[in-house]
This record gives sequence, C-alpha cells and structure tokens, in this order.
Amino acid sequence: MLALIHDYRPQAPLLWLEGAPVSQAAFLAAARQLASELPDAAREVLPLAANRAGFMLAFAAALLRNKPCLLPPAGHPAALASLRAAHPSAMVLSDQPAQCTAPGDHCLRLAFDLPDWTGPVPELPATQLAAIAYTSGSTGAPQPNAKTWAMLIATARLAMDRFGQGLHIAATVPAQHMYGLETTVMMALAGGGIADAGQPFFPQDVRATLEALPAPRMLVTTPVHLRALVAAAPALPELKLLLSATAPLPLALAQDAEARFNAPLFEIYGCTEAGSIATRRPVADPRWRLYPELKLETLAAGSFLHADYLPDPVPLADEVECLDGEHFRLLGRSAELIKVAGKRIALAELTQTLLGIAGVEDGVVLLPEADEATAVNQRPAALVVAPGLSEAQLLAALAARLDPVFLPRPLKKVAALPRNAVGKLPRAALLELLHG
Amino acid sequence: MSSLSTTELELAELLIGALNLEGRDAAATDPEAPLFGDHERGWGLDSIDALEIALAIQQRYGVELRSEDEATKRAFASVRGLAAHVASLRKG
Repeated sequence: MLALIHDYRPQAPLLWLEGAPVSQAAFLAAARQLASELPDAAREVLPLAANRAGFMLAFAAALLRNKPCLLPPAGHPAALASLRAAHPSAMVLSDQPAQCTAPGDHCLRLAFDLPDWTGPVPELPATQLAAIAYTSGSTGAPQPNAKTWAMLIATARLAMDRFGQGLHIAATVPAQHMYGLETTVMMALAGGGIADAGQPFFPQDVRATLEALPAPRMLVTTPVHLRALVAAAPALPELKLLLSATAPLPLALAQDAEARFNAPLFEIYGCTEAGSIATRRPVADPRWRLYPELKLETLAAGSFLHADYLPDPVPLADEVECLDGEHFRLLGRSAELIKVAGKRIALAELTQTLLGIAGVEDGVVLLPEADEATAVNQRPAALVVAPGLSEAQLLAALAARLDPVFLPRPLKKVAALPRNAVGKLPRAALLELLHG
Repeated sequence: MSSLSTTELELAELLIGALNLEGRDAAATDPEAPLFGDHERGWGLDSIDALEIALAIQQRYGVELRSEDEATKRAFASVRGLAAHVASLRKG
C-alpha cells in the first residue's frame, strides 16, 4: 500500500491557492468529501479543471474511489468528444460549468473550508490504476497508457531526489499533460513539493505567481514560454531552478534563461509511455543523465527503457546513443514526429488529415524550419491542391479535426505538387514552392 | 465590416509581422473579426500566438499584458478590442 500523500504531515502545505497555503489535512478533508459524492456509475473520471487545485481534488477523489483519471491527448472539443466516446462511463470533474455537459458530470466547488481531516492518511494499492494517459500517437488513434499509483509515485520520488524537497512550484503547463502531472501534482503528493494552483500564461502572470510563493521556488515551463519569458524579461523573484520539457531547447535559450533569471535550468526527458526518465543541465553538460536505477538497452529494433516500476521495457520514440550506464545522447527522432507546445504528431498523420478533406486533390504537410532540432516552434506548413476550396475553408476544415497548434502556417494553395518521376516530393522543390 | 482606425491598422500590421501571416492584408482587416478559433471569418489564432502577440505589443508599445484580468480576455476578442486595451494600458 502507498499513501495518497507521502511523508504525511497534516499541517504542512500541499498546495498554494491564490496566495495562501492549503494544508495536507484540509486538502484530504475536501478530497474525501468529493470522493463521497462521486456516483458509483462513473467508472472513470475526466478531470478537466483548469485550476490545479481543482484538478488535484478531482484526481485525489478519483483515487479514493478507485476510478482512474483520463488524461486527454489534447484539450480541443474533438479530442474530448472522442475520449468520451471511448469511455462512455466516464464523468467530467471540472471547475468550468461549460465543460460539465453530460448528466453525470460534476462541477467542482473550489473551497477548502471543511474541518481538517484528523484520521490517518489514506493508502492505496501500489497496483491501482491511477491514470490512463493518452498520447496523440504517430499512427492515428490516440494511444492509452496505463499508469499505476506506484508508477506515478516512483517518478515523483526520483525527481525529488534529483531536485530537492520543499520546492514551491509554479507551472505554465497544465496538470492534464504527463509532464505537468509529474512535475506539479505528483511532486506535491509524493515528491515533497508544494504546487501552485494557477497556470500563469503571459510573462507578467508568471512573475505574479512566483511573487506570491515563498522560497525556494521552481518554475516548470516549456521552450515556447521560456523564450517569451527571456524576451519580456520580467523581474522574477529568486528561483532555485527552472525546468523545461516537451520540446528541444536551443542551447542559446538555455544560456540566456540562466543568465536572465540567475538559476540553473534543467531539461527533463521522458515520454507518456515511461514518464520522466532523465535530466540534464544543458549549459553544463549536453549529455542526458538517467534517473538512478533505470537502464537503457539499445537493440536493432530501437532503444528500450527498463525500470522496476514499469511492467515491460518501454521503446523510446527517439534514437539514443548510450555513453555509459548513466548518460546518453539523443540522436534524433525515429519517425518524422513534430512537437508544438508539448503535443506531438507525425507529419504523415497531418498529411493524411489534409487529404481526407472533401475537395482536396493532393497535398502535403512539411516542416519548413531548416534546423528542426533546434526550432522552438515547429509549426508545420502545407501545400494543397484544392481548386474548389479557399485557404480559409481548408483551415476551417482542418481546425475541426486537429489540435490548433498543428494547423499549418502558411497553408498555400498550388496548382500541382512537384512530384518527381516516382511520385515522391523532393523537399527542395517543396520549399521553393512554399517560399516562391 | 466597419472601417479600420490608424491604430487598428498599425496593430494588424504588428500581428501579421509577428505571426508570419504572409498573404494577409492588414488594410483589409475587419477590426471586429475574432482573433481565435474562427478560420473563415476570423484570424484562426491559438494560444501560442497569444504569447507572441503579448511580446510584440510589449516591445512596440511598452505595455505588459496579464491573463488574469478580464479586460485582457475581452481585448483578445478582436483587433479592435486589443487596440483599445493597449491604448488604455498606455494611458494608465
């Protein structure tokens, strides 16, 4: 059995809500109350709360009732609709009434005003299914990944050992994403951290959130937000560390961020299938350093991660070069995957989606960035042959089928694609057409 | 479509430059067209674009946007809303 809150100290803060701490005992009281209100008929919980405290309440209540939480691959309506179709017995728990649309859904009351829980901390079976995390997948349908309570706790403990205890955590990433779940929600429940409930967006929001938190402070973010932060240069309070993940971080940006905010910047490497597995501080050492007790194995079929808490070895989407038992280098993507704002998708899938629109005769989606490994924003572009449709109509049709961050820009209509003798599309010819 | 003021035109040009929206004509902007989501009538922008817009506005006008306040949410509805919000921040 594993505790719902590790190293339980009833009066210690678990999270920070609008400038004030919420104690572990107050949180447990609210979570137990919510758990008692969940209907038996709901087999899974879809925690859509934008507020991290709301997400944590939904997550803890679902755990207490042995209902796994569904983590959607994206937040747009089509993704949520297909998730609900795949899990018809799931209920939504959200702090936004507009999201509680089905009869069994439940709108969260974001308050911690009940008498403190005075009993022992609840314990859960290590093998309990805690979450089902969906990846956008490279071949079409979103892929579910089962996360047991033990798996989620293991990565939080490994991160705590590497980054330290007692961190007050502000994050620009949502709790519904594995990276956000691990570095905020799970750090609070099992990694000795205190999570802020907000999700600051603009640089000045980040400053305000951090200013409301006591030291030591950690900022969990992504390259896209980090670039905006460095450019806007708000006067941030003292930081213990910065964390970035979800996309490659250019070294120059890492150097600028460390200099600007006077704190070490670490990157986390992981995937939805395995969770976080390694870290690095790019300004000091370009090599990735595995968490202790994890092992990488490189076979002809690719690289696999072994860990005590993973039932099977996990194949990595990237090609890696093992340098010693602890360090590795990333050699690049195995498939033509692109990442925008922490979401990933295969270019081939984008092209298929484009070709699936009625009226599209031919088309291709490509990455125009010359150096895609270091581009912060891997926005795809598209060339389309569709005589009867306008560019705006094509974008509208794509918007109904894709996460908005993957919408091609520019999307350019052309008379024909420069297919060569074997029907392939030479990249140089595509780029010429795109920029011409 | 209502007509575009000088400051709205300037802001539309700023957006087109900052977001690489090649092919969009600033002078033909409908100042009340939605910035987010709607691709047929509006700009079809997303949250990453909002970050870029905030940065471009800070660099051009020296004002900083916050997402917590309701005024910012209203401002991001259209070029007209954004221009008015920037103007009020510059005065304030």
